[in-house]
Amino acid sequence: MVDVAVIGAGQTKYGNHALGLKGMWAESAENAFASIDGDFDPSMVDEAFIGSIAFGGGQIGNTAALLTEHTGMDNIPVRRVENACASSGFAFRDAWMAIKSGQADIVVAGGIEKMNDLSPERKRFWLGVSGDTEWERLAGLTFPGTYALMARRHFHEYGSVHDDLVNISVKNHLHGLDNEYAHLRKDVSFDKAQNGFMVADPLTLYDCCPTSDGASTVILAADHVAKKLSEDPIWVLGSGAGSDHLALHDRPSITQLIASQRAARNAYDQAGISASDIDLAEVHDCFTIAELMATEDLGFAARGEGGLFAREGRGRRNEGQVTINPSGGLKSKGHPLGATGTGQVVEVFKQLRGEVESSRQVRDATTALTHNVGGSGATCAVHVFGRDLK
Amino acid sequence: MSSNQCVNWQGNLACIQPGGLVIKSRHTIDGRHVFGPDSDFTTLAVSGLSLLSEEIQITSITSNENIDLLVLQACGYSIIEDGEWTIHCANDSACISITKGDEMDWEVTGNETDRETYNLMESAWQEEMTAVSQGAFVSEQAYRSGAASRMNFSSQRLGDIRIWPPREMIGDQRPVDAPPLGQSGIIESWTKLSAGGAPSEFSLRAPILGGIGTVFVKLNEGPRGVFLIADDETSSPAIGKEVSFTLRRIYAQDGLIRYGLKALIC
Repeated sequence: MVDVAVIGAGQTKYGNHALGLKGMWAESAENAFASIDGDFDPSMVDEAFIGSIAFGGGQIGNTAALLTEHTGMDNIPVRRVENACASSGFAFRDAWMAIKSGQADIVVAGGIEKMNDLSPERKRFWLGVSGDTEWERLAGLTFPGTYALMARRHFHEYGSVHDDLVNISVKNHLHGLDNEYAHLRKDVSFDKAQNGFMVADPLTLYDCCPTSDGASTVILAADHVAKKLSEDPIWVLGSGAGSDHLALHDRPSITQLIASQRAARNAYDQAGISASDIDLAEVHDCFTIAELMATEDLGFAARGEGGLFAREGRGRRNEGQVTINPSGGLKSKGHPLGATGTGQVVEVFKQLRGEVESSRQVRDATTALTHNVGGSGATCAVHVFGRDLK
Repeated sequence: MSSNQCVNWQGNLACIQPGGLVIKSRHTIDGRHVFGPDSDFTTLAVSGLSLLSEEIQITSITSNENIDLLVLQACGYSIIEDGEWTIHCANDSACISITKGDEMDWEVTGNETDRETYNLMESAWQEEMTAVSQGAFVSEQAYRSGAASRMNFSSQRLGDIRIWPPREMIGDQRPVDAPPLGQSGIIESWTKLSAGGAPSEFSLRAPILGGIGTVFVKLNEGPRGVFLIADDETSSPAIGKEVSFTLRRIYAQDGLIRYGLKALIC
């Protein structure tokens, strides 16, 4: 079967963006196209998958057609992919499958979200759209509340403490400090993160990612094309995905994400590796507790030891076996919902090619992972990447 | 019902008398009983009926325009024109009597509440009634179709497993209707959301309340659920604490007040 590689990847800066949807997509696509080593033209793209929640309702229908027509991908099959915050993680998986199936040779996967052109009131109406609206929202829950319930239960079951989450927040802000694409480039002290404004007890402002504008674009290619267009393709070694009950109360446990575990297992199996082979991981830290749980679900820490993992600083850049969120993660880099999944791939692509700022470079990295979660864990896509085909 | 039995019931003050029951809000201003932050005649009526039902079987009820009939029906009560029992709403007080004849009253002292906070909350509810959704939305149809589960814990059964909220499975996973669950459980987790962290539906009232509390509860029969804590609950939640439930207002939108069960911490 054909192998698939990422041959180009780019994004906008995340944050409060002056550009609208079309402008952000154009900038992101242009950056991605420019990153391709060989002679590439957008008309060579066979198919496109673009993840977005269409936050705010600005362009819910036919988003993908509107965006691709502005970036030279005329008349090709396109569609919007929606799986909450995992939208572009799944767009990437769909693109990978399109090539794997033999139906396409060059496919674009991307994501986009415009979140900060809404009033605060309207924004909060949209921030809860990916939970079980009828049962969770009527109980006053949006995602800060949902993840707060998970955090408190994790503390209770495993003895993790809020300071473990503070360590994650401080680490990710440090990692994102030199990332020119990051939304919140600030050095946050332990004391400051420890004493943040309480958003959803026990989660403070420093446990929560920001709401960001942004777009990200990735170009995937079949092996025979990749070798012609790229001097240094990054190979997709494994693609896994999973789902779970949407409502927290329907799950047997709220201190682990079954969808993440399943997605990771599938991706590792395909790649023929285990968690210990991963040099760097972009994980979905929409809240710090989400990163803590992800380190367990992805196999970097034993069940219940995510707090200890964070306490010992084992995810810090170039300090442990694996660097967790070298980009700064959602916490610092930002979280433009639909763009996050392929934005993680952009970071991995550049890290494995040695193209990020030297201060951020993970040394000798050959194998990487992305982990993109939808909502409170109802959907998840995990991908494993390598400099070399195994 | 041979002699007066007066109790604190679901955050209210209730007295069963030979002719029926009187239930009042525990909140007062200058001695006059006023509704709590998420209460009204409908919530008082359901609370009173649930207490009365512990003593006798209620066959039918005549209600009035101050009560949301959907809520009474969702809670399993039969509403007819000439019911066995009649719900009387007081003219100038947060008080209801449920009798087989005339309106009754009962003198009881409540807890004085802050007038300014009360007025702010009343204004917030009035403003909220005109609010419309600008995104996530529980439609009136969805609210109505889930009312019996939301307000009375109507449940399902699949083999020995009790299911709540109801599911719409297929094949051999299709559950059958089952009696309502008992209204108690144990807190497995909880949070308190700041006004800024709460959904927009609560944005007018959450700042007045200082945020809203939510508990993740394992019900005694097994299912789990998330519930708001009653707005006037004064006890703090903790994992392992027992909760009971009472019907309260949740929020208003499109001119419709949404009701549901909220947790009281035992």
